[in-house]
Amino acid sequence: MAPDTDHTPTLAVRDLGKNFSGQDVLCGITLSVKRGEVCVVMGPSGGGKTMFLRCLNGLEEFQSGEIALAGVTLRADAPPDERKKQLRVVRRRVGMVFQQFNLFPHRTVLGNVIEAPMHVLGTPREQAVAEARQLLARVGLEDKLRHTPDMLSGGQQQRVAIARALAMKPEMMLFDEPTSALDPRMAAEVEAVVADLASAGQTMIVVTHSLRLARRAAHTLHVFEGGRVLESGPPQQIFESPRHEATRRFLDEAGGK
Amino acid sequence: MRPPGCMLALVLCSLLAGAARADSLSTLQARGKLIWGADAEGGGPYVYPDPQNPRRMIGFEADLAERLAGELGVQAQFFQGPWQNLPALLDAGQVDIVLNGYELTPSRAGRMEHTRPYYVYQLVLLARRDDARLGTWDDLRTVQPGRPKLKIGVLEGSGAHAYLNAHYAEQVEIIAYEGTTDAMREVETGKLAATLADLPAAVFYRDRFAALRQIGEHVGRGYYVIFVRSGDVALRDALNRALEKLLAMGELETIYQTYGLWNEAQRELPALGGRDDAELGIRATELRGWAVIRSRGRLLLEAAGMTICLAVVSMPLAMVLGLLVALGRMYGPAPLRWLLVAYIEILRGTPLMLQLFVIFFLLPEIGLAIPAFYAAIVGLAINYSAYEAEIYRAGLQAVPRGQMEAALALGMSPALALRRIVIPQAMRIVVPPVTNDFIAMFKDTSVCSVITVMELTKQYSVQRNDTGATLELAALTALLYLLMSIPLARLATILERRLARRPQH
Repeated sequence: MAPDTDHTPTLAVRDLGKNFSGQDVLCGITLSVKRGEVCVVMGPSGGGKTMFLRCLNGLEEFQSGEIALAGVTLRADAPPDERKKQLRVVRRRVGMVFQQFNLFPHRTVLGNVIEAPMHVLGTPREQAVAEARQLLARVGLEDKLRHTPDMLSGGQQQRVAIARALAMKPEMMLFDEPTSALDPRMAAEVEAVVADLASAGQTMIVVTHSLRLARRAAHTLHVFEGGRVLESGPPQQIFESPRHEATRRFLDEAGGK
Repeated sequence: MRPPGCMLALVLCSLLAGAARADSLSTLQARGKLIWGADAEGGGPYVYPDPQNPRRMIGFEADLAERLAGELGVQAQFFQGPWQNLPALLDAGQVDIVLNGYELTPSRAGRMEHTRPYYVYQLVLLARRDDARLGTWDDLRTVQPGRPKLKIGVLEGSGAHAYLNAHYAEQVEIIAYEGTTDAMREVETGKLAATLADLPAAVFYRDRFAALRQIGEHVGRGYYVIFVRSGDVALRDALNRALEKLLAMGELETIYQTYGLWNEAQRELPALGGRDDAELGIRATELRGWAVIRSRGRLLLEAAGMTICLAVVSMPLAMVLGLLVALGRMYGPAPLRWLLVAYIEILRGTPLMLQLFVIFFLLPEIGLAIPAFYAAIVGLAINYSAYEAEIYRAGLQAVPRGQMEAALALGMSPALALRRIVIPQAMRIVVPPVTNDFIAMFKDTSVCSVITVMELTKQYSVQRNDTGATLELAALTALLYLLMSIPLARLATILERRLARRPQH
């Protein structure tokens, strides 16, 4: 499977470095993602995967390198005002799905999905609701519009969270371990939605421990360890002939689970 | 006797305790001390701290107490009590006599024994020298159409208060103060048009309030008497004998001369000795039981309305202000954060009463005169905002970080995320503690009485002092407070449940 035709990178990360209370958590990450590319990031816990993802939309600051996406270039040393302006652009165009869903508990399912289109983009309510209905149908939750998050299962909540992020029509989606907090059956539900998005050509970076998801959806697999990209390539190639011993070890453990 | 009967008997016993201590003359002579109740806060020339030795009390009544005690063969001992509550202290047995410019009034005569008059007081209307509105007493009567009524200050529950109520209730706005000089200061700052003061006080404070002048003639001639407990005839008669003697020996005149209080009116004193209440122009009245509730209940109800008004207006202001303070303290730039921490600590660390005093009595000195009602609202709102701010801070911190992150990741600005996502969730968390504070505020409104706001507790105190019907009025007042706070607590529970259940789109 190859990415869609367009070869201009949607995301280019160069030499990204971050340290956290004196420890290097990311040391010189360089990678790029093309439009329509589905990119899966794997690796042992503490390898910097989540931190990397959070740097991309500015939930974490970084100390060196630069990130070019959505037409802007985030730099470590940008003045606060410029950073603020750039992040506003980036966050409108990049959606994120969290491990813990982070749905807004004081809003209904529908309320969660129309919140950002109405109040960030200024979409009229009728239009926002119509789009939200379509998105919720797409994730199989069209009958839960009036429910509150606490009435839904974890898998349903995560699917609402995906619909909520998609409502902003993002150029790129970031998934931060979307199935880690779910039991296998609910994880499968969510993986199906992610795979469906992938086949529809949505550009995305998925941090996950699920080999099944990587095999099913990924164009490119990046293995992170110790804040570095250990190796990158098509998933088939890495699964069958990993170049690094650490990758083999990780894959054995992940597969054995 | 069945248990309820026992209880009733106990209550009755304690109520009758005052009467049972009837013969306090022998008690105080055995003790060797005459404990006289007065309020030094009321000030000169009655009883006030000696400028040379502020621990010692002087004043014409201090001198008089000493002479009287001497005549009874004992020492005089001063007991400090709030002026309005001196009769209650007498009932409670804390003092033997009340000797503090207490005018002879029908209701006082009805509930306590009193001696012969020891001073003939008159009332003086004081206004600012530069105030052209007031030249004569008649100027009080002419109400200019479209203009607010003139505000006249009096000492709460005093003869002056009664005089204005009787003669000018329609024409002027009467404002009751707890201290004599408070009203004089308020005239000076322009918050009041005038104050009606007892002549002795007007004379004594002439120099301190040099900007004031007397308007028209003295009015409302009446009598200061000493009050003793109801039925305490032995002590009353002993005091009467002592007063007659001091009067005959000219000692009374000497004391009054010392304080510049001797005047023509006092020549009447010797003739007043044998007169009964009717001859002094007083018909003693006693109000108890349902009669009190019937005649004073309406006043208490109106005061309860004021209490509700204070709380219902102040609390929303405190909540809005508290939220702003909490947000500033959590998300503002460093200097603002320090400032707000100081704001919170100062307001939480000083008494509400002091804050009200500052707003009401000190701000006018720098030209910022706020009417009592608004001063009370501002004081309550500011004071409570500090507490609400801390509650909101706790509420905001209790919202998981992921909520803010999810909102930011959707492209919201931090301000929008706070407004739409974090604050609404914090609000639900803080409903119980804020409700709690709302109920607490209902009761704290009573502190506003110190700045002349006639709310429920104040009205209770005024009516109790006037009638002596403590039990009836206290029960009614407590009932009114409960009737206000219980529906409030109920309302809060409903609100809490609805907020927790009903989602927003």
